Amino acid sequence: MQRTIPIIVCFVFGLFMLIQFFVPHRISVSAYQTVLDWMQIVFVFTLLVGVISYAKLNAKKVTRTQTGWGYNLIGLVGLAVMVILGLWKGTGEKTAFLWTFNNLQAPMQSTMFSLLAFFVASAAYRGFRARSWEAGLLLAIAIVVMLGRVPLGSFISQWIPDAANWILRTPSMAAKRGIYIGIGLGTISTSLRIILGIERTYLGGK
Amino acid sequence: MSRQLIFILIALSVAIPLVIRIGLPNEVTSEVMHVYEEIDRLEAGSVVLVSFDHEASSLPEVKPMAQAILHHCFAKKLKVIGLALLAEGTAVGEQILRATADEHQAVHGQDYVFLGFRPQYQAAILGMGEDIRRVFPEDYSNTPLARLPMMRKVKNYEDICLIISVSDGDMPKRLAVATTAVMATSFYPFLSSGQMVGLLGGLKGAAEYEMLIKKPGMGQRGMDAQSVCHLVIILLVIAGNVGYFMKKPSTVGRPPSAAKAK
Repeated sequence: MQRTIPIIVCFVFGLFMLIQFFVPHRISVSAYQTVLDWMQIVFVFTLLVGVISYAKLNAKKVTRTQTGWGYNLIGLVGLAVMVILGLWKGTGEKTAFLWTFNNLQAPMQSTMFSLLAFFVASAAYRGFRARSWEAGLLLAIAIVVMLGRVPLGSFISQWIPDAANWILRTPSMAAKRGIYIGIGLGTISTSLRIILGIERTYLGGK
Repeated sequence: MSRQLIFILIALSVAIPLVIRIGLPNEVTSEVMHVYEEIDRLEAGSVVLVSFDHEASSLPEVKPMAQAILHHCFAKKLKVIGLALLAEGTAVGEQILRATADEHQAVHGQDYVFLGFRPQYQAAILGMGEDIRRVFPEDYSNTPLARLPMMRKVKNYEDICLIISVSDGDMPKRLAVATTAVMATSFYPFLSSGQMVGLLGGLKGAAEYEMLIKKPGMGQRGMDAQSVCHLVIILLVIAGNVGYFMKKPSTVGRPPSAAKAK
């Protein structure tokens, strides 16, 4: 029963969403809108599950003083502080929540993102080797695109940005299109397997 | 070369051009020009929807793009609806929209509104196609949409002339995208198929748009730093390869597996 009911719910709603797309009747449109509203409501609860899971996991590491428990404690304090500030005076203009977001969270997240430049440079120096003909070609294309996407490229020669744009608009786009078609076909087949109850791993267990 | 030295070189290559301007000439690509032309041809009073679908981490890259596009929209006297489909885009989007609107003396509720954030973006995008009020009954400041003058004539996408997604990830009518450079390649198939009118890719996209609206900002300033940084990385790659070929001349041109077997 624990598995049968979710499979029936999934089949009914999957089939409904598939059929309603072709039925423009107001009852179909209204039911579709209701399902969309419920999708958002359910999603909010999944956020809640995420926060509870994060808090439990980190609290466990702190209470057991596992390696790096200090970082887990900072994470928990950060979560609690942002929730308290948001509930206390809201999230609008000139609130402590917004100040904390602008002056702590945003710079910290930007810093983490910026660190990529350092690691990319280090990794490129150590790992980007023309070990084979294919690797050499990849390296040459990477250099052309890197130069072509900055003003320095056109400063050296107009050929560089033209070549970089051609690479992005033709071979790179063709590869992306192939990937998207693959993703689309994979999504359709997986969706059908879930709707028909063939794919059951999302239910958990064995 | 030690990792520390590489890190110092990258830090200097970014910091120095930000302090001392080089002023390398930038060129406008067709993707950015199409976004500019699309906004420029709209009549005053047309409604544009700008969605801030990004996280705080990509702020240095997406903020200049959002600012440049919003300056153009307000200069053209367009009505702007702002919203966020990622939670962190809410605070960022609202601040950028308000600050830019204030610069152009645009009035909240008449010239622009900010709807706030809705979770589960697929459902929100689909829902707004039917009725925006159903997804956003109130704006970010809890004012019912029916009480906002500019929202009285806007029901769904049919009443919106252009949708601009300022994003840092994958993400409907006429759509333009301003996204981080790393994600730009993901949108070329949609650009080629005509599903998108144009594309701003990262800081370069922002710099190009700033040139078009003749309002220099962080985009153009950042391009010097990005140029020098790219050059340093290329030189590091070349140096790494020179070192590799000088060290192992016998393995040159052979696949790694063959070299290992030997």
